[in-house]
Amino acid sequence: MRIQWWPWGVLTLVCLALLVFFVFYPLGVLFINSVRNESGAFSPAGFIALLNDSQYLQAFRNTLVLGGVVTACTIAVGVPFAYMVARYEFPLKNLLAVLPIMTIVIPEIVVGQSWLLIVGNNGLLTNLLAEIGIQLPSFYGWTGMVFSMTLVYYTYIYLGVLAALRGFDGQLEEAGLSLGTSPLLTKWRVLVPVIVPAMLVNALVVFTLVVGNFALSMILGSRVPLLSVMTYNTFVNEMGGSPVLQSAMSVVSIAIVAIVLFLQKRVVERKIYTMTQGRAPAAVRVRSGASLLYTGAFGLIILASMLPLIIVFIAALTQTSGPVMRWGEWSFSSLQRALQGAPEPIINSLKFASMATLAGVVFAVLVSYLTIKKRNTFTQLLDYIVVLPLTISGTVLGIALVQTFNTGWLVLAGTSGIMVLCYTVRRLPFAVRNASSTLFNIPDSIEEASISLGVSPLMSFFKAILPAMKASIISAAILMWVTTLSELSGSIVVYTGGLETMPIAIFRQVDGGRLGLASAYGAALVSIILVPIILSIKVFKINLFSSK
Amino acid sequence: MASISIENIVKRFGEQTVLQSFSLHVPDGAFYTLLGPSGCGKTTLLRCIAGFYEPDGGRLLFDQDDVTRVSAHHRDIGMVFQDYALFPDKSAFDNVAYGLRARKVPKAELTRRVDEALDKVGLLALTDRYPAQMSGGQRQRVALARALVIRPRVLLMDEPLSNLDANMRLQMRDVILDLVREAGITTVFVTHDQEEALAMSDRIAIMDRGSIAQLGTPQELYGTPVSSYVADFIGAANVIPVATEPAAAQGATSDAMRRVRYHLSGRALDGVRGSEGLGKHGVLIARPGELSLAAPAPHLPNAIAGEVARRQYLGFKTSYRVKLHEGFEIRVDLHAGNMTADFQPGDAVQVRVPADSRIISA
Repeated sequence: MRIQWWPWGVLTLVCLALLVFFVFYPLGVLFINSVRNESGAFSPAGFIALLNDSQYLQAFRNTLVLGGVVTACTIAVGVPFAYMVARYEFPLKNLLAVLPIMTIVIPEIVVGQSWLLIVGNNGLLTNLLAEIGIQLPSFYGWTGMVFSMTLVYYTYIYLGVLAALRGFDGQLEEAGLSLGTSPLLTKWRVLVPVIVPAMLVNALVVFTLVVGNFALSMILGSRVPLLSVMTYNTFVNEMGGSPVLQSAMSVVSIAIVAIVLFLQKRVVERKIYTMTQGRAPAAVRVRSGASLLYTGAFGLIILASMLPLIIVFIAALTQTSGPVMRWGEWSFSSLQRALQGAPEPIINSLKFASMATLAGVVFAVLVSYLTIKKRNTFTQLLDYIVVLPLTISGTVLGIALVQTFNTGWLVLAGTSGIMVLCYTVRRLPFAVRNASSTLFNIPDSIEEASISLGVSPLMSFFKAILPAMKASIISAAILMWVTTLSELSGSIVVYTGGLETMPIAIFRQVDGGRLGLASAYGAALVSIILVPIILSIKVFKINLFSSK
Repeated sequence: MASISIENIVKRFGEQTVLQSFSLHVPDGAFYTLLGPSGCGKTTLLRCIAGFYEPDGGRLLFDQDDVTRVSAHHRDIGMVFQDYALFPDKSAFDNVAYGLRARKVPKAELTRRVDEALDKVGLLALTDRYPAQMSGGQRQRVALARALVIRPRVLLMDEPLSNLDANMRLQMRDVILDLVREAGITTVFVTHDQEEALAMSDRIAIMDRGSIAQLGTPQELYGTPVSSYVADFIGAANVIPVATEPAAAQGATSDAMRRVRYHLSGRALDGVRGSEGLGKHGVLIARPGELSLAAPAPHLPNAIAGEVARRQYLGFKTSYRVKLHEGFEIRVDLHAGNMTADFQPGDAVQVRVPADSRIISA
């Protein structure tokens, strides 16, 4: 096919150049730095050092084990919930069914901090139980990480399996029964093969999220060595020196995620069946005793996953003396210190997130338009590179950006530019996915209709295509804004003095043991996140979460 | 308004040549239909006229203007799409106003023209509706109003009725014809539905693998198809290979010249020469409704012997399949009014073929 150079060919090349420079090139720098010694010559010394480092090998094993255990736990929670919601009617079901989605937007750092406030060494529940003589086992380490990560990540399994169950054609099950297999056996043979692929795809997503997790690992991990934490610490230690070890560690993390994503593409996605006529079976009303059980079990988990939202506000309004929370005594002093004394993180967060959202959404709309409506060899390349950030955890992306833009002709380190860049690159694959899903549903003929009515191809994009995408652009922008506001793992690597954001402030206050002040920032962050979500759902009736 | 001259247009996609030196002239104000099965190149041709495809060779003229290299948005065309292609975020009014706004029509005139266009398609009451709130028929009316309100030089329609249900399709035929006639606009209409083509067109171009198989009025195509492809495509026809006798002594009248004798199922029959250069092998073209059935004896003139293979009762008619000696089957439709006798599968019968049935070259 011939390529029309103006305007789309030129724009494709511009997008490609930007992606190569800001995504591909930093990764290249990272890879090269991992196999170079002090003098710049080729040397695998970094990787050899890692292989001989028993603590690193321990961290490697721990990370994989943590990934496996958390994934198993999220499946154990998410699959039964999805099945209950899809197949049964029970009290409060409609409310309970949508609440898990909210947990996706609760910042991980707030979750970690809240659990410390409840069951940490000086936690609310810890102290209460201690008074009546019960000693809670330590929450730090494996217990805390598995517990909190399960509550944060089970939503992915829940949503994925629920979608598969809703798309499942109930007649298949009836067909199985009519052919003489028993109900239980029918479920096993007909339903399970449909659910399992959806479950596995999302299980792999959860696995990669756990491997790349920074906030919860850092706050709750305590003395359990983990890759993400070690990579970050190495980065801090090597500051100013030769970045060999941090680069080698980063490359290993990228490799793990790349292998998992490869498995997902090659093995699992091929097993996904698409049902041509999905008519999900009607939900069965459950009887009073059982319904209490269903609502109770579901409600308990949801309560636990939403608890951080409540705790962070309570803690923000609680009197502190030094690091000690004086539960039951209320005070505005923490909030006052955060909002009046040091509001800079709040202003920075709003500024960076807004800039990144603007840049990210504009870029994502353009890229998805080019890759869907103007296909050619170059746009295919664009399509591949734009999902590359999915393989990079925030920590690794931050390290790559710092190494690349610290020196040379474009120095971004130390400026707000690097914060915005880090946010934009991290969320780009998601923003593109959001924009693409609507573009797929806009027929090509709309653009042709506009052209036939006398509007040039470029103006047709602005007058016909863009307005048709308006709703999804708004929801993509809100989602991107909200998620960048809570971003921590990448920004904590690239930030320098004066660029502190809310999640970084929370992290530093938690690290310094000032949980009251941390909660004040946490409450501010959560409020800023919830307001646009509630507004858009309630006032503007936008279906924010229709396409994750 | 303008005439359309398509001169030796070539269009290739990679290795595949879809249009091979295609030519067609559509006079000013005429309604031409491109008819053919999917893949015959009719939509490709329409998109070349619209300017969405750039031809690899040939010329395209609107009146005397060469528009071959003119980009689509400068061609001043109106186009109606199969999937309506309404802007989902705009009301019926704004959809129709879109092209006028692009032409910077003053506001008062714009409102007047949009209202007038929506009134003509009977949708004045729905100006504020959005596409999602309208039925398929209503959407296609908006699309039609949108294409016509800009008073384009030519109107192009790409299977505009194929997404509608049967009833709505009949209604929309009239709506389209009324509007097009009133505006006197040159129209090219693409369809794969032969009935639609017969009912609506001034002329039909039947397309076969990128070229015209036959161009003519609906009557010409139905009555005197020049090939079995055309005969088969326009209305169901029996297309049966026959052996023809060498041309008889040249008669005095042109009528006698057109006579031809052919052999089928052990009988010699009279027919009419339907194409030039008819050799020893020809093809009989006979519409099922023109044939009739009779008992096997006595021998009737211009009849062939056969055996009823299948009988289908359809209420207003009964449709038979009669097996001939050569193994071919011929379809005969007997209408309820003139049904002289009823036949059952297995019955031996004679099929009477009118003496003016056409024999064309194979």
